Amino acid sequence: MNLEWTGQEQIAASKGAVWTFINDPQKVASCLPDVQSIDVRDARNVDATVKVAVGPVRGNFKFNIELIPAASGNHMDLKISGGGFGSVVNLLAGADLSENGTTTTLDWKGSAQVNGPVATVGGRVLDAQAHKVIATTFENVKNAVSQTR
Amino acid sequence: MTTGQLPERHAIGAAMKRKEDPRFIRGKGRYLDDIVLPNMLFLALVHSPYPHAKITKIDKTAALALPGVKAVITGEDLVAAKLGWLPTFHGFDNQMVLAIGKALFQYQEVAGVVATSREIAADGAELVDVQYEPLDPVVDPYQSKLDKIILRDDREQKTNHIYHWQVGEREKTDAALAASDVTIKERILSPRCHPAPLEPCGCVSDMNGATGRLTVYMTSQAPHVHRTAFSLVTGIPEDKIHVISPDVGGGFGNKVPVYPGYVVATVASVILGVPVKWVENRTENLTTTGFARDYHMDVEIGATKAGKVTALKVSTTADHGAFDAAADPRKYPAGMFGIVTGSYDFPTAFAEVDAYFTNKAPGGIAYRCSFRVTEAAYAIERAMDILADKLGLDPVQLRMQNFVKKEQFPYHSPLGFTYDSGDYAATTKKALDIIGYDALLKEQAEKRKRGEFMGIGVSTFTEIVGAGPGKHFDILGIKMFDSAEIRIHPTGSGIVRAGTRHQGQGHETTWAQIVAEELGLDPQELLVEEGDTDTAPYGLGTYASRSTPVAGGALALAARKIREKARKIAAHLLEASEDDVEWKDYKFNLKGVPGKTVTMKEVAFAAYTNPAPDTEPGLEATYYYDPPNLTFPNGTYIAVVDVDKDTGSVKVRRFLAVDDCGVVINPMIVEGQIHGGLTEGFAIAFMQEITYDSGGNNLNTDFTEYLIPTALETPHWETAGTVTPSPHHPIGAKGVGESPNVGSPQAFVNAVIDALSPLGVTHIDMPLTKEKVWNAIQGAQSKK
Repeated sequence: MNLEWTGQEQIAASKGAVWTFINDPQKVASCLPDVQSIDVRDARNVDATVKVAVGPVRGNFKFNIELIPAASGNHMDLKISGGGFGSVVNLLAGADLSENGTTTTLDWKGSAQVNGPVATVGGRVLDAQAHKVIATTFENVKNAVSQTR
Repeated sequence: MTTGQLPERHAIGAAMKRKEDPRFIRGKGRYLDDIVLPNMLFLALVHSPYPHAKITKIDKTAALALPGVKAVITGEDLVAAKLGWLPTFHGFDNQMVLAIGKALFQYQEVAGVVATSREIAADGAELVDVQYEPLDPVVDPYQSKLDKIILRDDREQKTNHIYHWQVGEREKTDAALAASDVTIKERILSPRCHPAPLEPCGCVSDMNGATGRLTVYMTSQAPHVHRTAFSLVTGIPEDKIHVISPDVGGGFGNKVPVYPGYVVATVASVILGVPVKWVENRTENLTTTGFARDYHMDVEIGATKAGKVTALKVSTTADHGAFDAAADPRKYPAGMFGIVTGSYDFPTAFAEVDAYFTNKAPGGIAYRCSFRVTEAAYAIERAMDILADKLGLDPVQLRMQNFVKKEQFPYHSPLGFTYDSGDYAATTKKALDIIGYDALLKEQAEKRKRGEFMGIGVSTFTEIVGAGPGKHFDILGIKMFDSAEIRIHPTGSGIVRAGTRHQGQGHETTWAQIVAEELGLDPQELLVEEGDTDTAPYGLGTYASRSTPVAGGALALAARKIREKARKIAAHLLEASEDDVEWKDYKFNLKGVPGKTVTMKEVAFAAYTNPAPDTEPGLEATYYYDPPNLTFPNGTYIAVVDVDKDTGSVKVRRFLAVDDCGVVINPMIVEGQIHGGLTEGFAIAFMQEITYDSGGNNLNTDFTEYLIPTALETPHWETAGTVTPSPHHPIGAKGVGESPNVGSPQAFVNAVIDALSPLGVTHIDMPLTKEKVWNAIQGAQSKK
């Protein structure tokens, strides 16, 4: 099952501040909703355990998050792969940053490939749930950057 | 019922209450999961989340470190033990027990974890670290056909094509179609569905290291075949294997194959020296065990303007999933699909089936009719309605004028079967009278004027059951006969054993009735036992409506062997010559001397206390019955529906099933079988399908996504019957278990299409969900 979403956040911070934030694996991982634990492996990789509840599938999923920053400083790719309970989730998220005066616009795109029991539930609620997860993540990024500003 | 007062036909034909029910309704049945043995461990299986993926690594470390986990078994371990692959029943393909190098369908079994509790085993399964490299899946048989991705690199032939099978005359049929006044052509899908018995599959394997004997308690419809299969696969001598099939909570064909869980539990028991239990959960049952149907049928019929059929051609693309695990006989890879000419006298016909591998679960066996009869009956009954629509004829009239006539039996069909008996016109007339067909047509015409959608759907199907003649049908090469053993005790009660294994069919009652009828004994005093390979005679099991046509014949003939011996003893007791003793009114009578009689009970006592000189003591017999032909039950089913044009919702207002299954042993049990089968047919027509998304994810993995009708949805069933005995069966019976499932889906679909016919709708593939019906209405209305 392949899913795709897009969204946008206006962050009241400089592009540099946002860029610094999203280059920190610990900080990015902590923006995942319902995150239970974070284990930073290196400057680009972090393992996170996240509480997932999609229909009857409930429990902790383990994800590896890899940060892939573009040299331009304007674009970040996030590869999130993992799963649990026999399900596999591969998420690819990309964020483009652009500065407008005092705020930074974060345009994001996400796509996910889902296999296993979670995909079964998919037809009905997975799309909305996964969209919510990824949108909440970027919303959390916005709130977190705004607070640390 | 006592033997003192025997009414005429005291046993066969009586609506005797089921002898097995007291234990079931009191919760005293003994099912597989009720079996608990000392030191028993539990097996949980690890499943592939991917439909198609290379397995690059399986790391057992974390699972083995979990306290309580005793073993982790992978495909490589089984290969080392020479148990990596299983032959499929017809022997054309091999099936991985656990994935070896590659996963070929989602939920495929990849590893097994054995632990001290079911919960620890499940937790251990979560900890088995399997590394996959996903590959592109093929989920559509028409894509598979292109061979762009070869799924089975273990096979010599580098193609996804499994087999081509054909029957009939292609050129003659093509010519007849070309010369016909009218032709129709439609692609008719019999969708992938699943029998979903309420009790899933499971086993307890118990290898006794001291005796070297393996006991396997398993949910089996065919315990003897499973014993032989276990022996062939493991090399354990057959006398060292004891299969016990305890009470079975529904099978519908799902419990015929050998599944990986049985093999892994057995291997684990051999390794660990203790019993190992494996019981599926619902998702495992729906995603890995034998599915049903998945036949894509291109159906063409030719006819004259007056509506006499001239030719039938059916070309089928069959989706078999990852392995060719359909349990069809060797000579019939597409089962009995040749029954596709149905109840109609086609001068010529041709049918072909091409089967393909896809990244879906294997099976293609089951759901209260394997052997592809359901698909065939659905195709012809749907196509006859499409033809009637094109000809502007009433579908009943079209059927009536094309039926095989009563005087044509035994009827040789153009696709090679010899139908035993039937009176299709009489069965149909009875159905039309009961339902009040003319009044319904009148009501429908009035409703159509008001713009209301009322539909009447008819199915006049012919079934083919009772596999079967050993010369044609086999499983693993074993001829499909069946067997019975009867032992009459000194006091005139007895024990009856058969090679079949009931799963709700009521054999404990009907087998007793057959023997009681033949011997003049009380069916309440005949204990029926099945399912234990140490005690029952060898048989091929219960599926494909074969128990009564095959084992039922064996029972009657074993009883007649006893009666012949009993006649000798009766003559001895009557101090008469054997020739002067006749069996009449359920006892032995001395010819010409009224009142000089001997009952079977008296004979039984004498068989042990005062046997005739030169006669072996005791009173028992065994019979192995290989039927001379299949049996051909038929029926006329009529559905009346109202379709709500705003919501697409269908209300089944009436449903009548008139069945002709030959001689009826127990009308109450037959009616119960029909009710159950109709409820399944209703579910198939309106609710049930196993679907996969384009990524190969199974989307119907539990009962929230794969629906079982409750009493709330299920229509009220009306039933009736006609009796045309099978001329070759010892008691004239034909079998009925499958008929309602084989005969009903098309009646529902035909009714819905009939309701929508004013809009020009001619076909919708099952299941007819509200969404599909609503879309068909919207689509048709937007065209207008």
